[in-house]
Formats: sequence, C-alpha cells, structure tokens
Amino acid sequence: MSGFASADLAGTLATWVAALATIGVWSYLVGARRIFALLQYLLAGLATGYLALLAIREVLIPRLVAPLAADPGSHLLLIPAAGLATLLAGAAWLPVRATTPATAVLLGGLAAFALGGAVVGTVLPQMAAALPEGSGSPDQLGAVVALVITLLVLLGFLHGAPLGGLTSRAATTGRWLLVAGIGGWLGFLLASRLSLLVDRIGFLLGDWLAVLR
Amino acid sequence: MTTDAAGVTDRQARVARLRRVAPSVALLLVLAGALLIPIAADDPLLRLASPERSRVDGLRAAIGDVPVDGLVLVALDADLGTYPEIRATTRAALVDLAAHGIRLAFISFTPEGRAIAAAELDRLRRTGVTPAPADLGFVSGSEAGLVRAIASVLPESAAGPIADEIDARGGGLAAFDLVLVVSGSDLSARSWVEQVGPRLPELPLAAIAPTFLEPELAPYLVSGQLTALLATLREGVTYAEAIATEPGDERGPTPGALAMLIGMLAALAVLGEAAARRLTGGGRPV
Repeated sequence: MSGFASADLAGTLATWVAALATIGVWSYLVGARRIFALLQYLLAGLATGYLALLAIREVLIPRLVAPLAADPGSHLLLIPAAGLATLLAGAAWLPVRATTPATAVLLGGLAAFALGGAVVGTVLPQMAAALPEGSGSPDQLGAVVALVITLLVLLGFLHGAPLGGLTSRAATTGRWLLVAGIGGWLGFLLASRLSLLVDRIGFLLGDWLAVLR
Repeated sequence: MTTDAAGVTDRQARVARLRRVAPSVALLLVLAGALLIPIAADDPLLRLASPERSRVDGLRAAIGDVPVDGLVLVALDADLGTYPEIRATTRAALVDLAAHGIRLAFISFTPEGRAIAAAELDRLRRTGVTPAPADLGFVSGSEAGLVRAIASVLPESAAGPIADEIDARGGGLAAFDLVLVVSGSDLSARSWVEQVGPRLPELPLAAIAPTFLEPELAPYLVSGQLTALLATLREGVTYAEAIATEPGDERGPTPGALAMLIGMLAALAVLGEAAARRLTGGGRPV
C-alpha cells in the first residue's frame, strides 16, 4: 500500500482517479494515443495550476505582499524586488530592454550561488579528498586504478587528433572502459526504473483492487 | 474482390497491431502475476537487499548519534517521477527517527518536493505520529533559498512546540542535529553540500536519493561531506528490512523481488535481441 490516500470517500476517489489515470497512460501501449494525450494535457494543466497556487500562496503573498502591506518601512529591499518581479511577469508584453535588468539580476544571482557553491563545496573539498593520505594508505591502489581509468577514458575522447599506435590503443581501451561503465550504470538505472513500473502495478493491485497485501 | 482484399488487409493490420502490443501487455500481466506470488523477504534465491551494509549502517549510525528529543530536518525535495523508488526507504528512515524519539520538521525547496512533503505529512498525521512533525513549508529561490534558510528557517505561520524549540535554538538550520535530504533532480543533496556544508560545517547531512543521483553524490560520502547516503534500490531495501518490525505497516511496499527479476530478464532479453540484430547487421565498432 502506498499509504497516501485516506480510507474516507476523498481517499477512495483519489485512488480511483489515480488508478484510471495509470491505466489511461498505459493505454498508449495498445495505441490509444488520444487518451494518453488527454492525460498529458491534464498533467500539464494540473502542474501549471499547482505552481501558480504555490507561487501565490507560499511566496508572493506571505513573503512579498503581506510584509510590504504591513510595514513597508522595514522592508525597503522588497520594493525593488516587487518591481523586478513585475517586470518579469510582464516580459511577454514589455520590450526586451525593459526586462533585461530583471533577467540579469536573476541569472547573476543563480550563477553566483551555483559557481560559488561549486568551488567552495565541491571542487576544493573533492581535490583535498583525492589527495593521497600517505604511502601506506589502503585506498592507494584503488586511487591509482581510478586515475589510470580516468586517463584512458579521457584519451578516448581524442577524436580526430593524430594519434600514435600506443596512444590509439589506449584511446580504444578508454572507449571500451567508458562503454563498460555506461553499461554497468544502465543496469542500475534499469533496476531503478523497473521498480517504478512494479510500484505502479503494486498500486493497482494493492491500493485499488485490494488483492495485494 | 476489392472488398475481400480490403478485409484481408484489415485483418492483417489487426494481427500486426496485436503482435506489436502483445509483448508489452503480456509483460504487465506477468509482472502483476509475479507480484501476487508471496515470497519471503529473506528468501535466499530472491533477495533484493544488498549484502553490502556499510551505507545502511552509516545512516543508522547517523540517526543513532542524534540525541533523544533531538531535532531532525527532513528536506523533502524528491521528484514525483522517481519518489516511488525511495518512498520505502524514506518511510523507513522516518520510522527509524521516530523510534529514537527524535522530533521532525519538514521543509521543501522545490514545488514537487512540497507536494510530496504535504502528502507525507498528511499520512503521518493520519497514522498519529507523536509529536506531530512541524511543517516549515516551501521555501522559494532554490539555492538562494537554501542559504537564506541558514539564518531563518521558520515561516511566520509556524507554531507549536517543535517550532518553539527551533526558534529557541536560533531559528536557522543550525538548530537541527541532523538534516535528512530526500533528493530529487531539481535540488539534490549536492546543493546542500555546496551551499550549507561550507557555512555550517558542524551540521551532519544525510541523504536518500534515487539511483540516478548515486554517481553525483557518492564522492561526497567518500570525502565525508555527507554523513550517510542511501542511493540505490538495493540499499534502500536493505535499510527498509533492517528497520522493519511489523508487516503491513505504512512504510510502503518494497518492490516484489520476483517481479523485479522477471522485469530485468525481460530487459536483458530485449537488449540481447537488439545486440544480436546489430551484430548480424554488421554494427559499427566502438
């Protein structure tokens, strides 16, 4: 049992809708494309409605409108923020030049957080963690193997460059290692995606038809 | 004569269509049948659980290190599409946390995560978990929102003993003894490691993630930036089995081992058939 739907009428209704939607999506397998398309529209519409509701109820009103209405003096930074949000909201009708500052602030902020975080939180700590702790480290052999595989795979990307006999063989080995890695990963992903399908069948048998415990 | 020919063509088209759809429908029916066959979780021939338990032990240790009455933040930012893969693991972790007497607060930084968090909170309320977890709602701004949460994580509407305790401890992410990040693709545990880790290095971060995030997150576990990580189906099943005490609880089912085996064999057969066709057709070398 997924445990999401309650035992009351609303829960039963939700389970039926979910079950019929699941069967509707699977009907694509037997060529019923109209039902599948209809459910796609339903998903898109629900997602859009949900996002709009979330933005209005949990972001715009409590974090922008309400503070500005209650005490604008102590929320001065929200005034330009409201202006930028308005510009973005009207981007479809306004000239590009008018919306550029809002887009620039948005992208600049995102890039600053992403790049700063990547350097401080990933690149530097991962480089530090990759450094060998000492000649007696038990992981040293594994680290050397990882280094060799990484180098071979990187050589495998040297498409079009003139390569000598040894380098060419190394590049081919690198490509096969890459394929082996992707193949291994495909197996993991296959199990992962299969579990989603099995979960849906389990939902139909357990939550909907109640023949599975 | 023309009518007969049209009839034959129609019949041929129907047969061709039936042949095309039959394997998919048959697979669905076989998987459904396999799910109905009862198989013991500890059946030695059909075990989904991984024999390698270090990551499971890591998460249990991370939860065990949280003091009784401690505060754990569940950052639920999973995807709607892949959450079923980690649902059982997440619920097992919630059971594990509750068994340790730990108080929970839920927060989401993605819209999809918020939808799942709302459903899980509703489920927990129905099951009567005490104390009821605090709902810290949705925080917009993605990574910027994460950074803002370091200083203040409490929405103005937050009320109750857990919210009061968070407030008394400073009101930010540092108020928590552990953060359990339930990851998805939009905002994964990587964002927590990158944005929160350097700013709050003492805050332990544990993660539950679907399989596709494993290569992205595994290096953070090795470097110690993540305290614990469960990121494959088998690890999740191992953990859920380790936590399991009573059958039929509300943790959500782990996928049926026989159905998974049949599905994998079917997938291998399709791959093998495609490879054979490629080889006989003279495929290109790698």
